[in-house]
Order: sequence, then structure tokens, then C-alpha cells
Amino acid sequence: MSLVEVTGLTKVFRRPVKDPGFRGALRHLVSPRYRDVTAVERVDLRIEPGEAVAYVGPNGAGKSTTVKLLTGIIVPTSGEVRVAGLSPHRDRIANARQVGVLFGQRSQLWWDLPVRESFTLLRDMYGVPDSLYRARMKRFDEVLDLGSILPVVARKLSLGQRMRADLAAALLHGPRIAYLDEPTIGLDIAVRDRVREFLRQLRDEGTTIMLTTHDLGDIEDVCERLVIIDRGRVIYDGSLAAVKDDFARERRIHLQLASPVPLASLSDRLPDAVVVAGDEPGEFTVTVDRFRQTAGAVISAVLPLAEVVELRIDEPAIEDVIRKVYAGELRLA
Amino acid sequence: MMEYEADFWLLVLAGLLQQLVGLAFLGAVFAQVQALHGWTFTEAVLLYGFASFVFGMSPLFFDGLWRTAWLVNQGDLDYALVRPYPVMLQVSGSYVGLQGAGDVVVATCMIGWALSRADISWSPLTVLVGAVLLVSAVTIRVSVLAASCAISFWLQAPHSGFAFAINQLGTLGRYPLTIFGVALRGVLTVVIPFAFTAYFPVSWLLDPGRYWWAAIVTPLVAAYSLILGVRIYHRGVRRYESAGH
Repeated sequence: MSLVEVTGLTKVFRRPVKDPGFRGALRHLVSPRYRDVTAVERVDLRIEPGEAVAYVGPNGAGKSTTVKLLTGIIVPTSGEVRVAGLSPHRDRIANARQVGVLFGQRSQLWWDLPVRESFTLLRDMYGVPDSLYRARMKRFDEVLDLGSILPVVARKLSLGQRMRADLAAALLHGPRIAYLDEPTIGLDIAVRDRVREFLRQLRDEGTTIMLTTHDLGDIEDVCERLVIIDRGRVIYDGSLAAVKDDFARERRIHLQLASPVPLASLSDRLPDAVVVAGDEPGEFTVTVDRFRQTAGAVISAVLPLAEVVELRIDEPAIEDVIRKVYAGELRLA
Repeated sequence: MMEYEADFWLLVLAGLLQQLVGLAFLGAVFAQVQALHGWTFTEAVLLYGFASFVFGMSPLFFDGLWRTAWLVNQGDLDYALVRPYPVMLQVSGSYVGLQGAGDVVVATCMIGWALSRADISWSPLTVLVGAVLLVSAVTIRVSVLAASCAISFWLQAPHSGFAFAINQLGTLGRYPLTIFGVALRGVLTVVIPFAFTAYFPVSWLLDPGRYWWAAIVTPLVAAYSLILGVRIYHRGVRRYESAGH
């Protein structure tokens, strides 16, 4: 049985329709009109224990709504969610014990309390035994460097400190599954690397992770599976490597040749590739399908024409694929 | 709670002052009349003190409920809903209304003074039933607060205007019920049972023979209010929409 089983999950919000301005507000008071907005539409999803799933999509695609449905924060309009056999909103408290949740945009720390007090409150709420609590805190401190921020009142924390503290707070009770909604948003490079390292460790220890993010580096670092949602529907669900193999096939090879060579003669020697001349004489960009032509084959085709002075290869990135999907240029499956 | 120490003392002082103003008002009334619908000054102070005590306990332990409207409006209940603890208790405990401390201190003094002068035949049963009535009164008070604050789940407005209006009615419970008209008496007894937060319990204390039924009905009303209050609050939580998309 899968750890998370989602079938036909749909969430419709009713939103008032108002004309602009005070007049519109008054008219709505007398004759209210509403419009249904479907945030999540017939989503099916299965997550196996120990999987790390990246859940991505453009702004407003329904990512956060899905996470709120999966965690039982909001009640689905229709469809079914099962997390380890429990319905998150019906068995809210039992489900809360097995999941950890982080919303990067919000903190769960008590605003007026020192971070340490928030942790002990959570420890008591979840009933974490003291020895286990201490062991976990020690580990969190090693990766997230929490020691210095424990005595600080939450409202005085910087964003990076807050996020590290919130990560620890979300995982204090050792959940089976962690829903992390934008855990690296607004962080500097050093803290972000730290957070990613922490997530990799978490995954390697067997915690199931569902990661929502706009940072594609997070995805490539942590996840092996990719789910893309757009306008409330899942439009892709598969392994990250498969996306790359299917859609990120283009490898770009930048060449600086010792002497100028006519573009036509270079194109003739590379019939399967697209060759574009650069700004400087002897500068070319060769785009090839990495499954059909190796970089070595390109070089050996060029060498009889001129010596290669400089060589740079751009590997295809998942980023390109997702950018194309967001822009509507690429339709996946 | 103790994060802001000056604020702590100011709030306690504010609670004290508020109670003293109320007491001064009561004194002014009794300077004109000997008794109010059969209530002597001593008995009226006991009633006033009992009601103030009940109303002071509520901010001390459940003032966070007032924040429901704001939390719903801002979508700030997300984390409360993923913790293995009842949402209502997380919200009610999220803030301590320290003015309640002042209320309770003054109210305790009033009760002590009035009890030392009132004509009450004490027995272990009186103490036991008195304690049960006090707990019941606090329960009713908190249940009404929870139910009225839960309306915010439907309204989604960022303020608690409705709950405030309902709870203002509660201040009427400090005076003998009989001074009000029949309609208001009905509302305070049946619809929003504030009459059971002071008037009926104190009436029993002063005249257990005549008000024997108050000792039985008050706990029943408390149980009913509690069940209804918690139900309404949970119905509300299911309507919670969070914020954003």
C-alpha cells in the first residue's frame, strides 16, 4: 500500500464577484453573486514510503492548496486522501502525529517566545520523550547550527534563522512524511545549501518528502520524482531522470576555433546538429541531441577544419523543461 | 505571557480599576435604596463579585478565543491544524488576558467581604455545591465565548464584533435578574444562559431552600453549553479556508 493515496482530489472555493469600488461593494450587499474557483481538480497521486517527490508548478497552480488538503488543513470538495490509511481531516489528530509540515512563508514558532520555548511546547504537544528530544536537537544543531538562536525571541530572528528553526520545529517529532512548502524561499546561498544538505540526510534516513518549491536546485539536489501541476491539474508525474531524457535532450557545445571557418562548412560536417555562429570570428555554438551525438563526435568532426582553442559544454537542465512547460511551449504527456 | 513586564502590571492594574469602578456604581445605587428587588447591598456585592470572578477567569485562561476572527481572516490556523492537539485549546491558550488577574483579585475580595457578612448556613455540602456551581459558571461563560467567536469561521471578517456584542450581554449577569424585563430575562436564561453564570448560583447560596433546583440545573446547562460550544467551534474549523491559493 502506498503511504499517500490521493484519488480524484478536488477543491472548489466560492469567491464573491464584485464590481469595482464602493458602488460594486454596495450592489454585492443587496444582490450577492458568487463564482466557483477550482483550485485543485481531480488530482490522483500515489507516494511510496521513502520517496522524495518534487511538487512544482507556476504561481497559483494549486500547489499549496494540495498540500493543505493532504495535511487536513482544509476539507476537500470531493475526492479522497489517505495518508497511511488515515483521512487527514477526519482523523486530524492521529494524522498530525505522523506528518511534519513547513510553510516557508509562515512560521509556526510562537512570536513572543524564545525559540527554545517553542520547541519544548511542541515536544510536550507531541509527547516526544526527553532523551529522543535531546538526541534530535543535537542532530539538528549539527546540520542547521541552531545553538546560537535557541535563546532568541522568534520575532527577532532573521529569515535564515527563522527558516532553520522552523525546519527543526516541523521535524521535531520524527514524522514519517514531511510536507515542505518552499523551505528555501528567500534564503542566501550558504543557508540554502545547509537546508538542502539537511533534506538529503532526512531522505536518506527514510523520511518520505513532498517538496514544493520554485527553486529547481532544491529539486535536483533532493528529489528523484517530479510532479508538475498547472491550473489545478497534474500534467506530469514521473522520474526526474525520465523528464530529462525525454525533454531535456539538447546539449550545447560552445567552441572557439583558432582560425575563422565558414559557417556552411561546419554545418556540412555536422548534419544532425544546429550550428550558430557567435559574435567573434571562429566562435560557434553547436546544439546536439545528446542521445544521438556525443560531444566527442562533434569535436572530431570539427578538428579537420581548425584547431579548438576553447570548449564549453552546457548540460541540459530540468530548469529549461519546466520553464517551457510554464510558458506553455511544451506539453508533457 | 511574561515577555512584557510593564505590560503585565498595567493590565493587572486596568482590571483592578475596572472592578472598582463597577463597585463604586453599585455603592452609588445602594446609597439611594435599601434593597434592590429584595437584594441587600451585601448580597448584591456577592453577586457582583461572583460574576466578576467568573468573567475574570475567562480572560486568564481562554482569552485567545478572541483571536479566532483574526486567525481565520489571516489564514493563521494552518499550523494549529497540523498539531495533535484540539484547535480550540490551541487558540484559547495562545494568549493570556492579564486584566483577568486584576478582575479575579478584586472579585475574590468582594466575595470574601460579602460572605463574611451574608447570612449563609455553611455545611460541607454548601462548599461542595458552591464549587460545582462556580466551575459550571466558568464553563458556561467560556462556552458562550467559544460559540460566539466561532461565528468568525462563517463571517471571515478580521474582527470579533458579533462575539463582542454577545459577551457584553454577559455584564448584565452581575445584577439581580429580576430588575430586567421579561424578554431580557428570557434571553439571559434560555438563549444565552448568562443568568447561570452568577444569578442562579448565588441565589442558591443565599436561599438553598427556595432555589434548590439551581444546584441541579446549572451544571446541566453548563454541560449542554460546553457540548454545543465545542460542536459549533469544530463545525467552524471544517469551514476554514486558509489564505492564499
